[in-house]
Amino acid sequence: MTVNRRKKPASVNPMKIGQSLGAVLALQGCYRAMPLIHGSQGCSAFPKALLTRHFREPIAVQTSALQEMDVIFDANRNLEEALNLVLSKHRPDIIGIIGTELTDVAGVDYQNMLKTYKRERNMRGGLAFSVVLPDFRGSLESGFSSTVEAMIDEMIQQVGHRGSRSVNTRQITLLPGSFLTPADVMELKEIISSFGFEVIALPDISTSLSGHLLTGFSPLTRGGVPLDSMLQSLQSGLTIAIGGSMERPARRLHNALGTPYKVFEGAMGLKASDELLHFLHQISGEPVPLRYCWQRENLLDSMLDAHFQFAGMSALTALEPDHLYSVSGWLEELGVEQKALISSFETPLIAGMEREVWVGDLDDAEVLGKGADLWISNSHGIAGAQRIEAAFMPAGFPVWNELGAYMSVSVGYRGAMEWSNKAGNLLMQREAGHRESSVRHR
Amino acid sequence: MKYSILSEGDEEPMDPVRKNEFDSEACGSIAPKAKPCPRPKPGEAAGGCSFDGAQITLLPIMDAAHLVHGPIACAGNSWESRGTLSSGPSLSQYGFATDLTDSDIIFGGEKKLKDSIDYIAERFAPPAIFVYSTCVTALIGEDMDAVCRAAAERIGIPVIPVNSPGFVGSKNLGNRLAGDALLQYVIGTGEPEPMSPLGVNLIGEYNIAGEMWDIEKLMNSAGITVTSRITGDARYKEITYAHRAKVNMVVCSRALLGLAKEMESRYSIPYFEGSFYGAKETTYSLRQMAFLMNDREMERRVDRLTEREEARLSQDLRPYRKLLKGKRAVLYTGGVKSWSVISALKELGVQVVGVGTNKSTEDDVRRIADRVGDDTEYIPEGGASRIIKTVRERKADIMIAGGRNMYVAMKEQIPFIDINQERHKAYAGYEGLLRLAKELTYSLANPIWKLAASPAPWDKEAPPYDR
Ligand code: SF4
Repeated sequence: MTVNRRKKPASVNPMKIGQSLGAVLALQGCYRAMPLIHGSQGCSAFPKALLTRHFREPIAVQTSALQEMDVIFDANRNLEEALNLVLSKHRPDIIGIIGTELTDVAGVDYQNMLKTYKRERNMRGGLAFSVVLPDFRGSLESGFSSTVEAMIDEMIQQVGHRGSRSVNTRQITLLPGSFLTPADVMELKEIISSFGFEVIALPDISTSLSGHLLTGFSPLTRGGVPLDSMLQSLQSGLTIAIGGSMERPARRLHNALGTPYKVFEGAMGLKASDELLHFLHQISGEPVPLRYCWQRENLLDSMLDAHFQFAGMSALTALEPDHLYSVSGWLEELGVEQKALISSFETPLIAGMEREVWVGDLDDAEVLGKGADLWISNSHGIAGAQRIEAAFMPAGFPVWNELGAYMSVSVGYRGAMEWSNKAGNLLMQREAGHRESSVRHR
Repeated sequence: MKYSILSEGDEEPMDPVRKNEFDSEACGSIAPKAKPCPRPKPGEAAGGCSFDGAQITLLPIMDAAHLVHGPIACAGNSWESRGTLSSGPSLSQYGFATDLTDSDIIFGGEKKLKDSIDYIAERFAPPAIFVYSTCVTALIGEDMDAVCRAAAERIGIPVIPVNSPGFVGSKNLGNRLAGDALLQYVIGTGEPEPMSPLGVNLIGEYNIAGEMWDIEKLMNSAGITVTSRITGDARYKEITYAHRAKVNMVVCSRALLGLAKEMESRYSIPYFEGSFYGAKETTYSLRQMAFLMNDREMERRVDRLTEREEARLSQDLRPYRKLLKGKRAVLYTGGVKSWSVISALKELGVQVVGVGTNKSTEDDVRRIADRVGDDTEYIPEGGASRIIKTVRERKADIMIAGGRNMYVAMKEQIPFIDINQERHKAYAGYEGLLRLAKELTYSLANPIWKLAASPAPWDKEAPPYDR
């Protein structure tokens, strides 16, 4: 099917998020890391505030604090200063330098600068890499996956080609996409390890953004995958990527190290979960653990219970590409009519979908989804959902109108069940509201 | 009329960037020899950009459209992030962006800007459109002023360029630049209804969590009317006739002091700086309004009102005062001025043992010094670690700061109250002080602090080899 766009000059109620925010998110999943945004102050303050609001956790991020004259004359002086300060003050294990539209348009070459810097300071033992992420391309998803890719590149550079590689076939590298919540990543790790594998998630937000009281506050990230595990992941016998956007980083590992990979485009709903578990069963030779057999039954039963609720209902979904694909697959299984699918930008995955997809904003969602019963999008969609009188189900990023959204599970049988119940409840409440008002009118 | 307070007689409207002229006043101080805003430190900078600051000032004009000219992130990451409330129109809650792409950057975004303005005007019919420049559009040298001027002529509504790209400086500077845009393009362009009573402009009050409504209710019960809200819950039209007000009150915002000064010299409107945090400050502000209105009867009414309200408040506060007496707080405010919050806390018996001065001008610091004891620690620059250190060293019971530090406090298990733009509680006026007292009490008395501090039972067991 084709990807469409409504013709209009301005973006109205955008759901697109700057790429650099995706990069900051990816780095939160690494232990003792510091994302350093090479741009003006606001370019780090906004993502920080927004991520904080969604995850309800402090977010590690710094900026090179460019001001006008710096951009014109010597932006890298600021970067050097920032690096000096961050390195001496916080001693991070990982630094990700994130180029913005500002450094891109001004044509700042910080990649070479970083190389020289590393050589001159004789930086060893840490991981420092840069990634170019101007905001006039892509969105959160692409920023996230590009950052993981850049990170993997740097890891390979550091140790990858050092002689022969000893492959650990019982170890799997998991590349979780940006749309997965910390609880999702945790669930995936559990599922995979229940087949007897060691799992290294890259990045791993399940231990950094899931809420913990570990050791108090730190300006660096707390939790996440530590650097030595990251490097150890290069020995994995297999890569599992979740989400189409994570295919490229998986391919990097394959091309450089020969690590085979498997991409699961979605991990939501019965079929997608079946596929994942069947695959794990086959490659491990282990039986599917009893608890997943139970969960499968539970899911089917709850879908049966809910199907009365979903019959004749329609939904509109406005999410980042990979997430949209996943959620659409799940809705399909519920028998819900899909009124409109709206994505923040175009990717091969959604271009290849069988349904019609629109690239646009939440205003398009309002127009195209008119008459839908259920509205699935980030919290920016609340007002639009109210206007078209649809039940609002928060998903994606950012979600601020619900506690614990970041801990909700969408993957595996358990996730599908949680989502089905949640959506069903929302529709039930909406129906009850309607009934009440019709009674009052008599 | 073309008129700029920055360069008198100069026919050119605001340039995107005129750094030298701004610098001395960038922090909101108008004293000629005031220190310039310090350069943000790479690797240690915190806080928003000037674009952010400009938006904070203008977004509360609820019926206007606010269009951000630039790539998506500036708008996409920032819309719907403020707690400013509306009593009616909600167009300002729409996120509008030109959402520039690669090719727009290469070939220029002016055409897209023009089309976007036309589109918004036609579809939403707003009374005015504010257009914000951002770093990239400023960098590639777009002539936003010209596009706006042409658009205004074409579509017949004001289209106001706000030249405050993020990289010119701090949030405060952005507030100021927004104020300049109001002076240059809005104030003085309209007239109020012939018979409507004129009164006070509230400058720098943004109706966070509905504070404006509490303030207005108070003013009205003393017979004082609000002429223009600049800009909490404002309508575009009321700002056009702000020049007809009799008094300007600058509410806790030194960044907009220049606006009041300019209105004084241009329209002879007297101004004063005041705050509504704490009963004392509230009473002072109301008195000052009546005094400057030069109306004896009004002054008497204010006296009666404030006496009555203060008496009632002290009655209501009694149980909370008992609990709060002697409690120690560290205060780290962003947009809200520290000194006024200190007064409010003092009235509740809470001692401020540490206070952030990173955004304060020298005047502010003097005011802070007037209100705190000698052993209060000043926290000159940001960094959550620095604040926590003060909390620990000074044995503070609670931290009062902006949302960005909220979860930092949670990680350290420090009771916390949000005082900034994103908060959901209104603390202004007499009612507000009572609310603040309640919030402080709830926060301090919450069972979670004990629960979080106690280890799991198995961690309490002495390790076997210890026995
Ligand atoms: S610093 Fe510039 S590019 Fe960054 S958010 Fe602010 S205006 Fe936008």
